[in-house]
Amino acid sequence: MNENEFGSKMKPWLDRSAAAVGEMQATRLRAARLRAMDAYREPVRLLGLVTVNAGTAQTLHYSVFQRAMLFLPIAALIAVLALKSVDDGSDPGDIDAQLLTQELPPDAFLDQDFRSWLGKPQG
Amino acid sequence: MSDFLASVERRAFKQAVFAVHEEQSALDIVQDAMLRLAEKYPDRPAAELPLLFQRILQNAIRDHFRRSKVRSTWTTLLGNLGLGGEDDEGDPLDVMEVEESSNIPASPADRLEQSQVMAAIEEAVKALPERQREAFMLRYWEELDVSETAKVMGCSEGSVKTHCSRATHALAKVLRAKGITL
Repeated sequence: MNENEFGSKMKPWLDRSAAAVGEMQATRLRAARLRAMDAYREPVRLLGLVTVNAGTAQTLHYSVFQRAMLFLPIAALIAVLALKSVDDGSDPGDIDAQLLTQELPPDAFLDQDFRSWLGKPQG
Repeated sequence: MSDFLASVERRAFKQAVFAVHEEQSALDIVQDAMLRLAEKYPDRPAAELPLLFQRILQNAIRDHFRRSKVRSTWTTLLGNLGLGGEDDEGDPLDVMEVEESSNIPASPADRLEQSQVMAAIEEAVKALPERQREAFMLRYWEELDVSETAKVMGCSEGSVKTHCSRATHALAKVLRAKGITL
């Protein structure tokens, strides 16, 4: 019998030895596995490019381009917010001018009864 | 990941027991190895897990030896079992008989005999020198090829072959001395 034959003959015995592990040890092994699985986070793949694990970017196996892609959504969000803030920029002077050019005097808006009348649903 | 760990946990435990000769430490080692794999390599393809896990497990066993400083335990056992040194009795593998039976014990007597054989094999494996046992387990139990075994053990392929050869001859010699045929 050569070495490989001998090794292959030993394998079933070793398998049997592993299968014969006691119930207590098996239970503890199962508990250890569950503990390990608590620490395990299923990788999230975004567009097949990045892996995000527990809030941490795992970029070990990705190229520089792919790493840069990770930050693309954040950059896009910042750009959209910046653009929106520019669009919404209303000049307070214009508001004052509109208020002053109305027929209604500004003091009318300070009148409690007039404000409650404005709040009522119309006809 | 869970399925993979479930499939290897018992073998990993027995490997650790063979190495450290103590169940509590073996459980700690396996738990540590499983935790490391789950924490550090969650995104690895399933095909890479066996090799990775074996590397982590073997490192954990080595760490245990470093910490506990019990490296010489197996050499004492080796001496007791007469595994050390060369002799002129010929190649024990040449005279090992191969039984073609299915290894399923038919009677209580057979079961007793099989449990005795299993215990003898376990003792012989435990008594192997650390590197020989590691190489033998990885090659013939985990069925890694020589190259993969070398990667896990951090040595050359030639060393793996040498360790495996010595381990198989040592085991065959011990089993033959006990009148055991596989």
